[in-house]
Amino acid sequence: MELTGLFFYFVSFLTMAGIYAVICLALNIQWGFGGLFNAGIAGFYAIGAYSAAIITSTAASNNVGGLQQPIFVGMAVAAVIAGLVGWGIARLCVSLKSDYLAMATIGIAEIIRLVIVNEEWLTNGSLGVSNIPRPFEGVFKGQTAEIVFVLFVWIIVLLTYFISQRLHKSPWGRVLRAIRDNEDAAESIGKDTHSFRTQTFVIGAIFMALAGALSAHYFKYFSPDATEPILITFLAWVMLIAGGSGNNKGAIAGALVVWAIWSMTEILTGFLPSEWATRSSYMRMLLIGLFLQFVLQRYRSGLLPERAPKLDKLRRS
Amino acid sequence: MNKTLLMLTTAACITFAGLAGAEDIKVGALMGVTGPLANFIPPILNGAKLAEADVNKGGGLLDGQTMKLVVADSQASAQPSVDAAGKLVNIENVVAIMGALSSGATIAAANAVAIPNGVLQVSPTATAPSMTNLEDNDYVYRIVPSDNYQGKVLARAVLEEGFKKVAITYVNNDYGVGIGNTFKVEYEKLGGVVTKFSKHEDKKNSYRGELATLASSSADALVVIAYAAGSGAKIVKQSLENGFFEKFIGTDGLRDDILIQQIGAEALASSFFTSPSSPSSNAATEAFHARFDETFGGGSDKPFVDQAYDATMLIALAIQQAGSTDRAAVKNALRSVANAPGEIVGPGEWAKARELISAGKDINYEGVSGAHEFDENGDVAGYIGKYIVEGDSYKQTKIFN
Repeated sequence: MELTGLFFYFVSFLTMAGIYAVICLALNIQWGFGGLFNAGIAGFYAIGAYSAAIITSTAASNNVGGLQQPIFVGMAVAAVIAGLVGWGIARLCVSLKSDYLAMATIGIAEIIRLVIVNEEWLTNGSLGVSNIPRPFEGVFKGQTAEIVFVLFVWIIVLLTYFISQRLHKSPWGRVLRAIRDNEDAAESIGKDTHSFRTQTFVIGAIFMALAGALSAHYFKYFSPDATEPILITFLAWVMLIAGGSGNNKGAIAGALVVWAIWSMTEILTGFLPSEWATRSSYMRMLLIGLFLQFVLQRYRSGLLPERAPKLDKLRRS
Repeated sequence: MNKTLLMLTTAACITFAGLAGAEDIKVGALMGVTGPLANFIPPILNGAKLAEADVNKGGGLLDGQTMKLVVADSQASAQPSVDAAGKLVNIENVVAIMGALSSGATIAAANAVAIPNGVLQVSPTATAPSMTNLEDNDYVYRIVPSDNYQGKVLARAVLEEGFKKVAITYVNNDYGVGIGNTFKVEYEKLGGVVTKFSKHEDKKNSYRGELATLASSSADALVVIAYAAGSGAKIVKQSLENGFFEKFIGTDGLRDDILIQQIGAEALASSFFTSPSSPSSNAATEAFHARFDETFGGGSDKPFVDQAYDATMLIALAIQQAGSTDRAAVKNALRSVANAPGEIVGPGEWAKARELISAGKDINYEGVSGAHEFDENGDVAGYIGKYIVEGDSYKQTKIFN
């Protein structure tokens, strides 16, 4: 084992984990703060990935695209489009109670997926968008570029974290927790719960789209098979619940730990004799399930449980 | 405390993984072992293992070192594929990667891992047209023709069979869309009439609605571009049950034993299939298939078995030619062992190839699935075979190139 190899494995590990961390932080804003059960994460992720891909790609095959805009423009457009779509959806669905909201968002994510697969003029359908650039690609090449990209991803993670932390501590965050824990009480003191929930949903959707944009730049190619709900929606939920919903550090920790379980179990099953090659992959799926069971059972309220921010001279909420 | 334990175990495992078999030369096999392509994998993996065994029996790699195939699970999806490729390259320290299978997984792994880390990647099955123009610094190859190619050949084959009017249904993914579109364009260019052109979603229970519409267009036959296990077999079955169509034309996705099991050979008598194949003159192919069936108890007729063997073999030859496990040197050696000119080496002739290389002769590998002459994009022209159902398996009747 070479140390450089190990180092670059961690680089690629941290890149994926960082992208998941952004999704988790976004979900934490929606679920952890606001109690909005969004089961359509993959939809917003896909909107972000495709917006960024179409805006920044250097050449397009038979769809619109190849607009060759800078990465930051692509991310901004991704955020705006996801925000607008999120706003539209929130207007319609956000007043639904948690399980109904879950059903509605599953449906919406499926609609988004079908639009992406079928509107070939826009997304090139199942063939996917290629020629997506990476940030600073012209300056850094090869393995250096990998390091630059992981830094880029984690800058976005930290940015998301600070914004999220700020929201958590602000009066706005307090209102959200009040709405989450007792909607009627919050309304009785004059808070417009519908508007607060809409804002929460939109902010979450924007960060999910940013995570999608990061993936598109990482793969430099994006096709519908990268928006599998099990790899995005399901995994993000597991990460947040394992990490501790309501806690931003927990969201990041959950992303790291669960992605570590997902990724490193293959190293464990790699020890099985090579005749077991096909079976060991299924063993790995079993191991992932077992580890997740363990984390979820052992840490019922997450690795880092929610802690309400301290309030000066006020009782803890 | 448990978390610390977990971390320690994982860390220990990583360390051991690196120590085990330091003498072996590792080649990665990035396969969608779990996930939507799981059905296809066991025989494909056997193809790669046979190549590994051939190399090791014929004297090993370089100075007699053992070649070791390391399998990683791409789950036929972008995220896990990138993760698995990262482990192959960085943890297992493989010299080159054979894989992945589906195009989305292959391109993502190439862009995020193989190209930046400078590792040769040879896919036995990725057929997406977009792979042709990948900016890959010459690190990414495939040994099956692009879908554009199979679509074109299929159009010729259908017209040769005398079908002037066909309806097409294709599965809505990269595979179906790629072949479907090129087929339609070529077929119409050659004078055929497409009466209905419709896509369908995979894994539905009933396709009767779509099929009724397709049947109303009075076509001679139905072209089905789909995987048998996903939607293909259901489409054929429901067409027959309801009397919508009697004749079917399928591609390699449909050419699956499941189809014969579910439909029966008799009902498929007037249908035919195309699939990437091997040159008819290649006697080595039959010998290889016999050897494969003997070793693994059958399965040599499964899709992409030949390609998996060849891809693995080409990587081994490139390592031998390079004379080292230096990744860049191996990449640079690939074309010289795959392309003409050079003394021809066939499947199973590892010992001969070894001798020729050590004698400083140029070699040209002509594999089970074709001659594998890479063009400047790392693509091959390849051969497409035409198959009919005979008994309970498929029989190749013609070769197009």
